[in-house]
Amino acid sequence: MSDYALALTLVFVGITMLLSIRQKLGLEKEIVVGTVRSALQLLLVGYILHIVFGSRHPLLIMLIITVMIAVAAWNAGGRAKRVPRIRLAVALALLCTESVTMAVLLGLGIIEATPRFIIPVSGMTIGSSMVVSGLFLNQMKRETESSRGEMEAYLALGATVRQALAPSVKRAVRSSMIPTFDSMKTIGLVQLPGMMTGMIVAGAEPIEAVRYQILIVFVLASAAAITAMLMGYMSYRLWLDKEGRPYI
Amino acid sequence: MTPLLELHQLAKLQFDNREEYLFRPITSKVAQGDRIAVIGASGQGKSTLLRILARLERPDEGYMSLDGVSDKDWKPAQWRKKVCYTAQHPVMLPGTVEDNLQTVSRLHSLPFDAPAAKGYMGQLGLGDLDWKKEASSLSGGEKQRVALVRSLLLQPDVLLLDEFTASLDPGSREGAELCVRQWADTSKAAVVLISHDMEQAERMCSVVWFMAGGELLEAADAGRFFAAPETEAARQFLKRHAGEGETKNV
Ligand SMILES: Nc1ncnc2c1ncn2[C@@H]1O[C@H](COP(=O)(O)OP(=O)(O)OP(=O)(O)O)[C@@H](O)[C@H]1O
Ligand SMILES: [Mg+2]
Repeated sequence: MSDYALALTLVFVGITMLLSIRQKLGLEKEIVVGTVRSALQLLLVGYILHIVFGSRHPLLIMLIITVMIAVAAWNAGGRAKRVPRIRLAVALALLCTESVTMAVLLGLGIIEATPRFIIPVSGMTIGSSMVVSGLFLNQMKRETESSRGEMEAYLALGATVRQALAPSVKRAVRSSMIPTFDSMKTIGLVQLPGMMTGMIVAGAEPIEAVRYQILIVFVLASAAAITAMLMGYMSYRLWLDKEGRPYI
Repeated sequence: MTPLLELHQLAKLQFDNREEYLFRPITSKVAQGDRIAVIGASGQGKSTLLRILARLERPDEGYMSLDGVSDKDWKPAQWRKKVCYTAQHPVMLPGTVEDNLQTVSRLHSLPFDAPAAKGYMGQLGLGDLDWKKEASSLSGGEKQRVALVRSLLLQPDVLLLDEFTASLDPGSREGAELCVRQWADTSKAAVVLISHDMEQAERMCSVVWFMAGGELLEAADAGRFFAAPETEAARQFLKRHAGEGETKNV
């Protein structure tokens, strides 16, 4: 795409701006900030990827993945700030998910061990796992509020913290995975995934693009399952103190 | 008799004002076979005290011991198995009545004592209740009794009952009192119950803990307490309750 064409995309920002002003939505500042940030962040990432793809240094790749995990964990962990060490726990879940995913993809030779493959696939894996852990935390927060009586009834009957939390954790694991599987069912029919669209626009054969998209869909499904399961597993130590009282 | 449960300078601060006590340090004990009635005006911290005894709430000062072992040396779950709190507002667990009754056997991998459960249900006037019914659809009084059976099946050493007949009609209330008394007699357990019904406290208990003015004001033999309380606060309290009883009967 030429610089001229890229600059012309500002027309869309203009439309948004015009609507906001005409309808007195008061969103002008948001639009400006959003436009500038998205452009800057994406350009920055583009240049970083350019450097990484050029150098192919494994440490550089690891650094990028670490940053991705840190940002994702910080972001998702923010949903349950009051739970001690929650961001660390999310980071751990994301790290395990990413490691398992990459071990399988690279170990079986499904993708090439080059930054061109590793980084985008990692980004998608971590990004979607971040959404899953965010959903999980939201749901657990709701559970510890709405099921407090239930948990206490279990504890009063001599249940361990693990036993008292198990029903809530199970519900939270399920509900954090459901959106991923729901979108698997309608993919291609309702929404054309961004990655596939991007590949096609950039000139790839649709069939080839679809094959990669299938890979991604399956990877994301397993990543969702691994993340949700790990978050559930760690919950037993996170949400209740030793005596069985919830932190939230 | 050797005390089962001992309270050593146990105190709780108010939830919203951490400068003031909800109740000042309490030192007391519960022995095997004791029947203790905790009475006092609303908001004195009776439920909070029982929840602390069951380790569902943390005291702000002091500690407890059970069977001579200090609370910090007990696993909380093991403690709660022996000191069981039955809530003022009963909570049904997800599933049917049967699922609820089987909770204890499921949690502790014990065989389900169906005859005992049937027996208690019958005594509580729930002999005809369909066990396949969703527990959440029960009436308040039914829930309260199912929760009681759940606790009895745990066979605790100390049973803590928080207004366990509050939503029962007089007939079911009598059944519930009898059921608890018989259970406690045969299992040699101690019962600590909160009640706003002085007649029930007198019928069921031999000891009274009277909470007023942010402390355990009197801990006395029930007969003596109801005949001649030591403090002015207790006299006033009993007088108010006697008045209430009369107006209710009119
Ligand atoms: N978890 C809690 N958070 C905040 N405040 C609480 C909590 N539990 C109890 N309180 C407050 O502590 C005080 C004592 O409550 P508690 O339930 O122990 O009283 P009670 O003597 O059992 O009263 P009642 O006879 O009405 O049941 C009340 O003012 C109550 O509002
Ligand atoms: Mg109460």
